[in-house]
Amino acid sequence: MSSSTKFLTLKTNDKEEFVLDEAIAIRSQTIKNMVEDDCVSNVIPLPNVDSKTMIKVIEYWKKHSEEGISKDKLMDFDKAFVKVDQSILYALILAANFLNDAEMLDMICQEVANRIKGKTPEEIRKEFNIENDFTPEEEEEIRNENVWAFE
Amino acid sequence: MGASLSSLTENESTANGRPGLGDIPENCVACVFMYLTPPEICNLARLNHAFRGAASSDSVWDSKLPSNYHHLLDVLPQRIYEGFSKKDIFAFLSRPVPFDDGNKEVWLDRISGRICMSISTKAMLITSGEDRRHWNWFPTEESRFHVVAYCQQVWWFEVSGSVKFPFPPDIYTLTFRVRLGKFYKRLGRRVCNFEHTHGWDLGPVQYELFTSDGQHAVSEYSLDDSDQDDTSANLKRGDWIEYKVGEFIVSRSDPATEVRFSMKQIDCTHSKGGLCIDSVSITPSDLKARRSKGVSKYQ
Repeated sequence: MSSSTKFLTLKTNDKEEFVLDEAIAIRSQTIKNMVEDDCVSNVIPLPNVDSKTMIKVIEYWKKHSEEGISKDKLMDFDKAFVKVDQSILYALILAANFLNDAEMLDMICQEVANRIKGKTPEEIRKEFNIENDFTPEEEEEIRNENVWAFE
Repeated sequence: MGASLSSLTENESTANGRPGLGDIPENCVACVFMYLTPPEICNLARLNHAFRGAASSDSVWDSKLPSNYHHLLDVLPQRIYEGFSKKDIFAFLSRPVPFDDGNKEVWLDRISGRICMSISTKAMLITSGEDRRHWNWFPTEESRFHVVAYCQQVWWFEVSGSVKFPFPPDIYTLTFRVRLGKFYKRLGRRVCNFEHTHGWDLGPVQYELFTSDGQHAVSEYSLDDSDQDDTSANLKRGDWIEYKVGEFIVSRSDPATEVRFSMKQIDCTHSKGGLCIDSVSITPSDLKARRSKGVSKYQ
């Protein structure tokens, strides 16, 4: 029905511009609200997203907007999509959160959870570079506080 | 917790200028926790102060509690949970909480947050149960209620009970925990005695359940193998067996579901005896299936 495809220009915080079909861009609730409120000028600035992350986000949006794509194919895509370095994963969480794309945020959070699962606190600290800032007394207190979960 | 966990994981984020686990906003941490089980979340509390805070937040534990947990607390006699955080409530409910004079216990499965229940034979009606020639009680550590009913000899065997509880929506399996023979400890060893055990191979025992919304299930089991006096070859002798009575579906927690259950062998042409009954369990069906396969990682 629509005679012409509308395009939006998204500008990341490192001044890169991405031209995107509006129908795809409004997977972002944040952008959708802007479009609906009619406050879209020529360029939409995305101050919280860099271009490297935005390329990934757009890759995800385009794949998930493909017509007639099977669920299996999407699952394979998602699986491969989250196989990235931790720092990229966190950048994607921040981007998905800012862009307010619940589906994508949910998928990435699940991946983070999977990376945490089955590891001891010591292993998690090492892998995620987290410093233990508890005193021995506090550690004892926390152990007692959570003992019920491991009975 | 603050807006982010960055204060204590800043090494990572500042080292390469890219965000790290510590920079995830609170709502995203909560989203990650949605995919973790309570023991996993408690594990994270041991990382550092910020994670401890995140792992204690009410929003996280609200999603782990049954939707009608308020109702569950109301049913319980204790009022000690006032002022508890949601995590405290989960921890409280994950340990068996006695109700109805202590003869029934309810608790949350630690991994799934779903309701499990056990009902002691003490809370059931036993036909001629007061007659010491027919029925006895004896204390044992093998029961969570520390006492089991022992049927010495009867003709009319009937044990029944009921429970009314605001079960959260789920599919539940009801089982009777039963064992043949009498057992005791001698010099630290467990000894089984089958001197009274007879009659259970002559006809099946009928188990039944009814719910207040009209569901009904029935099952029959032969409790003993005939012609098997050799205890080692008789699989039905010597250990506790959970007999599945059936399943019932709860689609709404309000009004509370009443479940009535019974175990009967009322063919009076022969006597039977030498049987212990511990309790009835009500457990979410797929949880039970997972347990019996031994998949549960935290046990």
